[in-house]
Amino acid sequence: MQRLSILCATLALAATASLAQDNAPPPAPYAAVSSLVELPDFLPGLGQLYVDPATLPAGPFLGYDHDGKLSATVYMVPLAELEGGKAFNDLAVGNPSVTGVDIYYNAGHPGVEAPHAHVVLYHDAEAKGRLAQ
Amino acid sequence: MTLTRREVLLAGGGLAVLCAAPALAAGEIVIEMKGSARGEQVWFAPLGLAVAAGTRVRFVNRDPGNSHTATCYHPSILDRPRRIPRAATPWDSGFLMPDDSFAVVPAVPGVYDFYCQPHEMAGMVGRLVVGRPGDPGWEEPDYPPGDLPEVALAAFPAVAEILRQPVLKGGTP
Repeated sequence: MQRLSILCATLALAATASLAQDNAPPPAPYAAVSSLVELPDFLPGLGQLYVDPATLPAGPFLGYDHDGKLSATVYMVPLAELEGGKAFNDLAVGNPSVTGVDIYYNAGHPGVEAPHAHVVLYHDAEAKGRLAQ
Repeated sequence: MTLTRREVLLAGGGLAVLCAAPALAAGEIVIEMKGSARGEQVWFAPLGLAVAAGTRVRFVNRDPGNSHTATCYHPSILDRPRRIPRAATPWDSGFLMPDDSFAVVPAVPGVYDFYCQPHEMAGMVGRLVVGRPGDPGWEEPDYPPGDLPEVALAAFPAVAEILRQPVLKGGTP
């Protein structure tokens, strides 16, 4: 798990291409996750998520707060694919300003059913609080 | 602890049920679909339930950050192995959003195994026992080994355990 954390952190820091989509909704091909799969519009901890379906499962998912402000960029990395040697390189980031990163396990959900890691890049110091509920 | 009169009456009723145990649940019983805050764990609560035939079993999604299904194992639904009595009607809730619910009234005695479609691989399964062995029409479950993923098979409580403890919580918080 430690190796996974290091790998995910490296993955997050390696994200270089900025999408700069600061206000919801981002333009196509991004689509609301709740319009693609059966999930609530606002996910506690992640916000209202948008993703380019072609980038599934890793993303980036753009997480917006209740006021439509881009607050986080989220990657969803299937553990089995990492263990199988797959790398997720050169992923885009929603905004180049990152004030903190959370990495944690998720058992799966519609859209990314396999057990995976959430890598969450927060774009300002208050973002985590705004996305909590 | 001081009990009010109403609480005493309720507690007394509960004790009466326990003394006559294992009484089967009846009326309408709720099975909650739950998840930890960040989705590390997902589960049905209770994990195992014994009810009288004709009891309404309602599945309620109490997970604010996820959707869930309550789907019985049956070839007519996603071509899965049959794990309900042969004479029973298969059921599938479809995806339930937070606070949505779905009810089923199983009438045929026997064992009904069910799962959450996006979370079966996380071990989100449950077992419903309707009636008791020996009831008219009871069908003893007899499934080939390895018919389901190991993580699902490992999660089912034994039928005898559910009959001893008709509302079996399981190990997930």
